[in-house]
Amino acid sequence: MSEVSLDNVTKRFDSTVAVNDVSIDIDDGEVMGIVGPSGCGKTTALRLVAGFETVSEGTVRYDGEDVTHIPPENRNVGLVFQSYALFNNMTVLQNVTFGPKMHDVGKEERRDRACELLELLDIEELADRNPKTLSGGQQQRVGLARALAIEPHILLLDEPMTGLDAKLKQTLRQELGQLLDDLEVTTLYVTHDQEQAMSMCDRIAVMNDGHLEQIGTPSEIYEQPANEFVAGFIGTANLLEVTIEDEQVSFGFTELDAPGPQRVDGTATVMIRPDDVRVGEGPVSVEITNLFYQGEHIQATGLLPDGQKLTLRLDRSLGDVTTGDSLSIAFDPDDIHVIESTR
Amino acid sequence: MATDHVSISTRVSSAARTTVEVLTSPSSERQREIRRIVSLCLPFTVLLLFSGVFPLTEMVRISFSESRLVTEGFTTEFYMTLVTDPYYRNVAFNTLWFAAATTVASIGVAVPVAHALEKYSLPAKSVILTVLSFPNSLPGIVAAFMIIILFGNTGVFTNAVAFISGQSSTDIAFSTGVLGLFFAYIYSMIPRALLLLRGTYAEVNTDAEEAARSLGATPLQTFRFVTLPQIKPGLIGACILVFRTGLAIFGTVLILKGLLVWTLQIDRELAQGFNIAQASAMATVWFVFVFGFTVLVLRYTTAEVSI
Amino acid sequence: MAERFGQGGLSARFGRPFVTLVLVLTLLFLAFPVVMTFVSSFASDWFGVLPTGFVTLANWQDVIFGTGVGADVAVGSSLAYSTGLALAGVVINLIVGVPIAYAVARYDFVGRDWVNVFAILPLAPGIILGIAFLRTYPDLSTSGIALVIGYSLLKAPYMVMAVQSSFQSMDLQQIEESARSLGASWPRTFLTVIVPNAKTGIIAGSIISWTLAAAEFNFSYIVYSRGTPPLAIFLFNNITNASFLNAAAAVSVFFLLIALVTIALQIIGNRSAVRRV
Repeated sequence: MSEVSLDNVTKRFDSTVAVNDVSIDIDDGEVMGIVGPSGCGKTTALRLVAGFETVSEGTVRYDGEDVTHIPPENRNVGLVFQSYALFNNMTVLQNVTFGPKMHDVGKEERRDRACELLELLDIEELADRNPKTLSGGQQQRVGLARALAIEPHILLLDEPMTGLDAKLKQTLRQELGQLLDDLEVTTLYVTHDQEQAMSMCDRIAVMNDGHLEQIGTPSEIYEQPANEFVAGFIGTANLLEVTIEDEQVSFGFTELDAPGPQRVDGTATVMIRPDDVRVGEGPVSVEITNLFYQGEHIQATGLLPDGQKLTLRLDRSLGDVTTGDSLSIAFDPDDIHVIESTR
Repeated sequence: MATDHVSISTRVSSAARTTVEVLTSPSSERQREIRRIVSLCLPFTVLLLFSGVFPLTEMVRISFSESRLVTEGFTTEFYMTLVTDPYYRNVAFNTLWFAAATTVASIGVAVPVAHALEKYSLPAKSVILTVLSFPNSLPGIVAAFMIIILFGNTGVFTNAVAFISGQSSTDIAFSTGVLGLFFAYIYSMIPRALLLLRGTYAEVNTDAEEAARSLGATPLQTFRFVTLPQIKPGLIGACILVFRTGLAIFGTVLILKGLLVWTLQIDRELAQGFNIAQASAMATVWFVFVFGFTVLVLRYTTAEVSI
Repeated sequence: MAERFGQGGLSARFGRPFVTLVLVLTLLFLAFPVVMTFVSSFASDWFGVLPTGFVTLANWQDVIFGTGVGADVAVGSSLAYSTGLALAGVVINLIVGVPIAYAVARYDFVGRDWVNVFAILPLAPGIILGIAFLRTYPDLSTSGIALVIGYSLLKAPYMVMAVQSSFQSMDLQQIEESARSLGASWPRTFLTVIVPNAKTGIIAGSIISWTLAAAEFNFSYIVYSRGTPPLAIFLFNNITNASFLNAAAAVSVFFLLIALVTIALQIIGNRSAVRRV
């Protein structure tokens, strides 16, 4: 049974539709990510789960129970915002005990619970500090401890790492991922950063323009995107026009066996990730037009024989390649993904 | 027509019922929010009605009253007096030109001062700011006293000039003249104008100014073509509020008496025979004029208004 | 080529000295009489350019203990009376001002801009409101109740502005929603999280509206009829009836009060609010 679910939920603001007929089931203990460009409705979806917005149509359920019209304070959700929104009029410990206090947990118990969480998050020495004096990373942990202290039904994280610098983000991402795994708390993680979502979430829902485009595990989303939008939003994708006939994919300049039986017959789009383009030898020649040195590797753009652009990833050992050079490449049938829907 | 009437009244009553429902048993978060907004605005509204709207309404009613002390009948006699009597026309004229002149003077001083505060690095800036904002806390009667200290019969300036020129100090003193009143007005108005303009100045995009300078504009051209358009909404807003301040000054003129302005005449109506109806008519005219022109200016300009 | 890095136009050469001169003259115009008032309050005579006969406390004694003529009452009773009236006004301001400041800062609703204009622009100045009160609540004027509610309406904008400036530095929506997600009802969130977080603005607003209520002359003058005069009326009586140097001492009492308030506001660390007065 799914722990938290949005069933055919639509949310309208005046004339705009922020969330359009979206259904997401989050399993018990699962970390579900929602990604999408800004304005895609992901934050609205989170606010519908929390209860800060009421759906225009559809149902929000916790454990199968309809909570659509229950106000947020009675839903028991743990919420961590981008700014953490710590209460500056209270100490760190008071911040963490605030939730249990509101739930009429006894003084002793809420203190114990808070101390336990502070210890778990390795910030027990900050207990008596004022949140204003803490660093961004510390504030985030306090925010997390405060949200977890009410033993929430679901933990909602709204872009919790956006304000941090890149290095810290990486450390915290690992820690947070580990913590969410250990605690087995059902989590909804909203971010525009698809890399974060890929590394931390069990499943990801990709949203665009209020619609749910695809929902699946990170590898499903990356390797088998449902449509061009998902392919383009998650990572870098080459989208090439092809014709498919009799299990044969024809690029115009080369042909491949289709990766398994195809439903599409005729013209279609296939996706190839840059790292799946084999460079060195192969039937196709690409004229390199741009090179971007990226440290670990070199990203290159080239022109295929029919003039379509192709992004590929070069090993650093190919560092002497310059623009204007031609490289031989090949596609592996297993690495190409036929996009069925054009949405 | 009757059915129309019924349908409108049912619609109105059903709308009223929905409103009541939203406030008593809200079901969505937006309805709960509406309930919160209403309850947050309620105390202020009560105060506004009880100590603002109701007394002002009563004031307007008595100004149309035929009876002297109770609201009875209807007459426009007191307004006719204001319109026809040259005495009152003169008072109105005095009030307007004087408030306009002092507004222009105050803004004229406040713009360069705000400019200096924002652009120049000044020594002891916090002291300067305190001095410039201090008069904002002073009532008009104290501003009047400040002018007496400077330009009164025993004033510092008066006696200094008398000492140098050998004239009698009473010939030089101008604190109770129009000029003295002018200085007393701007004593209150400059700090107020400054307060408003500093907020505007703080938002000026300095990058654009520097770009203009780097393109060869002189400081005056930069001010004229880059800074001025940016501070314009704030400048208009400041003019309105300072002008309002100027129209409302009473204590200052009560002491210095340099010019017979509207507020002083209102007091005289009360002092000379407690003519509350005439005073109310004058206060009503004042209120309607200022309210109307504020609303108009807010509507048709980009003026930014804050205290 | 000599012109290439020339001095520029007139404004480049004289603009800055001119602007600086305006600043200096303004500072002198505003500060000099204040200093002279305070200094002369300790003098026994002032006939020439400068006061003479330092240092005497006679003027201050007259003000503090009363003289029986002219400014007949001692400053103490007026000060205490105005303190009480203004405090009561501040209490009303807190009750009406903090909620409406929150409504405007936190929520989006139809007519919000107009609500804001009404909340931060005084509806009518002291003298007009005074006339209205004189007509409407003649019985209240002797008890001081009329003064209290009048002050609270006249000074509410300053409370709203100060509290709003505190609210603007907070992420109200996220703070409110965090507290509610933790199980606090909305009224409880408002009282235990929002209000304490806006403490500096609330204190600053209270001090500002208190000072301005204590200093309000125009409204007090019209509405006040008999009994202990409020502070502003006391100052007026001194300026118009007492000897010049006694008046200087009375005004100096008021200056000290403002100075104390300014210091208090700076201690709260809300210096922008000081300039808002």
